[in-house]
Amino acid sequence: MNNLQSICTVIAMCAASISTASIAQNAAAKLDVNFTGIEEKEGAILGVVFNSEDAYNGKGAPVRQIMISADKAEVSTALEGLEPGVYAIKAFHDIDGDMKMSTNPYGMPIEPFAFSNNAVGNMGPAKWADAKFEVKPGANVHAIVIK
Amino acid sequence: MTQFDRRHFLGSGLFAAAAATIITPERALAGASPAGWSLAVADVDADVPEETLQLVHGKVPANCDVTLYRNGPAKFRRGTGTSGHWFDGDGLVRKFRVGDGKAHLTARFVDTPKRRLETKLDAIVQPGFGSSRRDGAVVNGPDDTNAANTSVLMSGGQLLALWEGGSPAIVDPETLETKGFKTFRRDLKQMPFLAHPRVEADGTVWNLGGNGKGTFVWKLNPDGSLGKAEMLDVGRASYFHDFTATARHLIIVLQPWVQEGFKFPLSTAMAWKPELGTRILVIDKDDLSKKRTYELPAFSFFHLADGWEESDGTIRFDGCLEENPTFGQIAASALLRGEHIKAPSPMLTQIVLNPNGKADMKTTRISAEFPATDRRRAGQARRFTTHVAGYRQTPFPHAIAIWDWKTGRDDKFDFGSHQLVEEFLFVPTGSGERDGWLMGTTLNLKERKTELHLIDAGRVSEGPLATWRASLPLPLTFHGTIA
Repeated sequence: MNNLQSICTVIAMCAASISTASIAQNAAAKLDVNFTGIEEKEGAILGVVFNSEDAYNGKGAPVRQIMISADKAEVSTALEGLEPGVYAIKAFHDIDGDMKMSTNPYGMPIEPFAFSNNAVGNMGPAKWADAKFEVKPGANVHAIVIK
Repeated sequence: MTQFDRRHFLGSGLFAAAAATIITPERALAGASPAGWSLAVADVDADVPEETLQLVHGKVPANCDVTLYRNGPAKFRRGTGTSGHWFDGDGLVRKFRVGDGKAHLTARFVDTPKRRLETKLDAIVQPGFGSSRRDGAVVNGPDDTNAANTSVLMSGGQLLALWEGGSPAIVDPETLETKGFKTFRRDLKQMPFLAHPRVEADGTVWNLGGNGKGTFVWKLNPDGSLGKAEMLDVGRASYFHDFTATARHLIIVLQPWVQEGFKFPLSTAMAWKPELGTRILVIDKDDLSKKRTYELPAFSFFHLADGWEESDGTIRFDGCLEENPTFGQIAASALLRGEHIKAPSPMLTQIVLNPNGKADMKTTRISAEFPATDRRRAGQARRFTTHVAGYRQTPFPHAIAIWDWKTGRDDKFDFGSHQLVEEFLFVPTGSGERDGWLMGTTLNLKERKTELHLIDAGRVSEGPLATWRASLPLPLTFHGTIA
């Protein structure tokens, strides 16, 4: 599944290309993302935030990345300075800290992953239509169960 | 979709199957009344709390202290939907406990993600060997479709409910409560683990997982810990439900029923290509890179029995071989519709791998399935194979027998046409190969009850020493283990 595995690829390879500072200048919204259901309290939650269907489907870059220590059952991060609009998130729990979605010898992902809205994929990532959510001006909160 | 789900996802035994287009089913008995035998594939709606079985025949031997665990699919229908294949129903683990002259039964479904999802939706949605993916399906890994319905293994004191396309499920041997999937090592989550592990006399377990061009070799130590976990290139994406072993070698039989891509149902992703013949790989257990290859005319199969090696290097093993895979491709699906599609009979056959590189097949001409042997003799020469027999009008066997390879004769007991006979296992009571009991179950269609039988393995034709009857009928099981 290209797109699921691209979560880690995007984070590992594209992170440096995104300037959070430049995006922040026009922003009027704040988004708190809460990850719950973390079973193994080690490693980090890695995620990517997209603001278009094309980017979500691999035809563009994410607007933000998330990297939070997964040392508790629930962890959260605040994304400041987002433009109000429609977003979707892909995330996984990098338990072993290698910055990659680990796989078994047949290439199956073996670390927990999730999408915004807790949308569920089917032999692939959740669809944009299921994972998208609105970020309004001001404070927003979005909760994702990662399992 | 790519690496995740096409090339590797469920890249396993279950995940291969048949191009139905090349099969010409002879629907010999289609339309015949399914009233009787369809109880074999009926649904069970709830776990079965412990009950004392009724002794309906014979006497319980004083020294009989045995637990028989069995597994088989027992839930095929939800809402208006039906599973697409006998192999896709939810696994119901049954514990038959005999001791102090009494017998007890407990049965509990394995609590899998598939069962939880389908219960919530009240619909059959998850794809499988012969089932399509339907609305509401959630498939993000093999264990999402794991039916945990094929066999059980006791390893290192842990009872595991086995499927073949994904992980074993851990089941409490007393309460039969499910404790989640077994992960032998963190990086081996969601790895296929066949339902036919070969267990050495000391408890060492060998198994395979997955049947693309590469398979995975598992070795578990007698304490249940992981001893070996390696990918093995077998060169052909044959479907195999089983393999066998001698003391020194793994034997992988590559039938020409080969996976050609990936799609659901898995049984539609495989093609029968008899022109390829059947290839047999002999692999050194201590060095998996050491391989020998033998070629035989095409046959299909589900089950093999333990093998052994003679002093000149000749290897012998037996199996129940079919002319083609019609049963797995379509006949086992038709059972759930109450149809009996006549498929080629599995024939008990010995395969001989000669030191000169040539292989031979010696058929008994006996229709047989579920071969079982004395597990103390795993990897050693033996004379007998226990098997179900007596295939007649129904798709299921009616007799149990022990084949004697020396005399070429069966010692057989026929339970009658009203009894469907399941796998029987050997329980040793002495050192000889026939010193023990055969223990197994039948589904009595006349009484509409499941029965447990104990037979003297030295005198099979005399029939059961003891027969107990449950309060209800349970659908047929596939495999079990003695503990």
